[in-house]
Amino acid sequence: MSPRAIATVFGKELRDVLRDRRALMFLLVLPILAIPALMWLTTEITVHFAQKLSQEKLVMLVLNPEAAPDLWQELRRRGEATHGAKRLAEYLARHRIGREELERLRDASPRDMAQLLSERGVRWEELEKEIAISSGGGDIELTGGAIANLAFPPNLDVIADTEREFADPAKREERLAEAVRTERIAAAMDFSKDAQGQIDGEGSAKVRLYYLESSDRSELAKNGMVRLLRQLGAEIVERRLQARGLPDTFNRPLVVRPERLPGAGLLVKLMSQLLPYLIILFAFLGAVYPAIDLGAGEKERGTLETLLVAPVERLDLVLGKFLVVTLAAMISALLTALSLAVSLRLGMFAMLSQAGADSFSFSLGEAALSLLLVVPTCCIFAAGLLMLSLFSRSFKEAQSAISPLQTLLILPAFVSFLPGVKLDWGICAVPVVNVTLALKEVFTGNMDRHLGHIGLILASTAVYAALMLWAAAWWSRRERVLFRG
Amino acid sequence: MSGPPLVIAEGLCKDFPSRRGQKVRAVDGVTFSALGGEVFGLLGVNGAGKTTTLRLLSTMLRPSAGEARVCGHSLLREAGEVRRCIGFLSAATGVYGRLTAREMVAYFGRLHGMDDRQISQRTEELFGRLQLEAFADVRCDSLSTGNRQKVSIVRAILHDPPLLILDEATAGLDVLASRAIVELVKDCRSRGKCVLFSTHRMDEVEALCDRVAIIHRGRLLSCSTLSEMRARAGGGRIEEAFVAMLGEAS
Repeated sequence: MSPRAIATVFGKELRDVLRDRRALMFLLVLPILAIPALMWLTTEITVHFAQKLSQEKLVMLVLNPEAAPDLWQELRRRGEATHGAKRLAEYLARHRIGREELERLRDASPRDMAQLLSERGVRWEELEKEIAISSGGGDIELTGGAIANLAFPPNLDVIADTEREFADPAKREERLAEAVRTERIAAAMDFSKDAQGQIDGEGSAKVRLYYLESSDRSELAKNGMVRLLRQLGAEIVERRLQARGLPDTFNRPLVVRPERLPGAGLLVKLMSQLLPYLIILFAFLGAVYPAIDLGAGEKERGTLETLLVAPVERLDLVLGKFLVVTLAAMISALLTALSLAVSLRLGMFAMLSQAGADSFSFSLGEAALSLLLVVPTCCIFAAGLLMLSLFSRSFKEAQSAISPLQTLLILPAFVSFLPGVKLDWGICAVPVVNVTLALKEVFTGNMDRHLGHIGLILASTAVYAALMLWAAAWWSRRERVLFRG
Repeated sequence: MSGPPLVIAEGLCKDFPSRRGQKVRAVDGVTFSALGGEVFGLLGVNGAGKTTTLRLLSTMLRPSAGEARVCGHSLLREAGEVRRCIGFLSAATGVYGRLTAREMVAYFGRLHGMDDRQISQRTEELFGRLQLEAFADVRCDSLSTGNRQKVSIVRAILHDPPLLILDEATAGLDVLASRAIVELVKDCRSRGKCVLFSTHRMDEVEALCDRVAIIHRGRLLSCSTLSEMRARAGGGRIEEAFVAMLGEAS
């Protein structure tokens, strides 16, 4: 082995790759710009259309309003999204607070609510003023649930089936499904016989909701009506208790209040799932193009013969190329992590930044360990890809051979999203899966609990990488590989 | 005027596996020697075994049987030393499109263990001789086919090898580019180097070769001087002698 020859091959191949626009596209542009842009666009588009849908008035058809006339009128009144509600929703949107977030904090402690509001720059007196306007001056408790109900009432047009179009019970469901499918209505409901009497007589009225599961509009209308009915139900219970002189705690013997402990929150959880997956995937993608160019590319250009007659050991040639491909994989992985971290810091991903009141960050030590964990996996990718590339007769053939591998790789890297899969001694020996799970633990802040596992992973992946490199060197000496066809 | 033998091939054989799992013998017991200061031509139809023979002698392929000594080094045991003393050029030889002509040549110079000063001196000299100065810092993918082949010539002889192996190196080239190669061959011969030269162009054989070996179906049919070949054809042209020999062998 000659370090001078390896350095010569490495220098030339690196220069070659850095001048290749297609390689740079995969190596730099994709991780730095495309991933954040794609994620930003996806989240923004999702939020945009969800907001658009929430502003659309959805028709809720009441099949038998005569069974509960008071309830029907109350539902009609409350289904209308008022100007005050819209104003409050806009105020919250300006501070990046969405309905889901408020719903999540429905039963949370005042401390969590206060923390969220102060993090988003909301001033108490301002919020109280907005709430007073939208509630018409009524007293409203500053809980997530109460604010959500006020700011985001379901936008429903509750109408009666006056023409008795769906009166025939035998054909009702079929006709309703067709009406929902053609968007004449979003959902429908009926009350049990004499529902009003049952409500007034302290009984229980049944409300049946008809909706189409595959329709977003139908699902939204159903959920909105369920919320309204729960709200109304709670108020009826309150009136019943007052009539009997019972305290409002009578029907709430247990009040549950989850308290979030300091430490990794939802955002950390999401990022610790997403980052390992993307790092592994982009380490691979970053290595693909240089590997193809440095192997099959030599054959296609007709430069392989000249290299083979140069006085350089095949091992040195392979090592020089292998180091460039490994470096490309590492740069791609590093840029992916950096661009995602920076984008998150800049608040580019609306949905992720609203996911929780916590923040995602990691120490220099954790970053260094993550990089160290990724190195042997990049080596495995580089050696494997070079072997396939050297075996291929052309660029096209190499691409065809590598594409299925890419699909195969997505599965083990996806393990970071699977709930309940833990890093144990057995998994430490499974390539790709081990590093994905180890990265997940590092990003969740559990590095100290897994130092033994991480040591074993580093050792096992280093052994695999060495074996793969040895295999690539052996492969490169085979005439049947170099002179196929 | 000939020097010491720089190539001594003894019973070289090369088998390739066929798709049916059997062996196909591409080169079958080829024996010849080529001397310093000599242009040694290899003639044969397509698929005769010329390229495989040259690939064996340049260590790209390992012989299935037989042995050769190239510049005094064993093909089997001293492949690295053999590679140091050969320059190789074929019609299929490509260039690195994203490197400039100078960078491409320097890369191979370094692989041959030359230092930067040697590379620079030799590059200037050869670029001047082949009129490549104006293209030295142009990326190879912007060069014409002829100039690319000239860059390949410089790459092949930068380390001043005693043995030059040319495998149909003029195929597909225009007159000027072919002439550059022909001049190179003449220059090498005059400086006592050995040139192994495979071609389909009989005019080049007549103009350049001192001795010619005819390979047919992997076997060496004959190895003779041009005048001996002409004599066999009754004083006719080399092409007629070649066709007649193939006819006899078939």
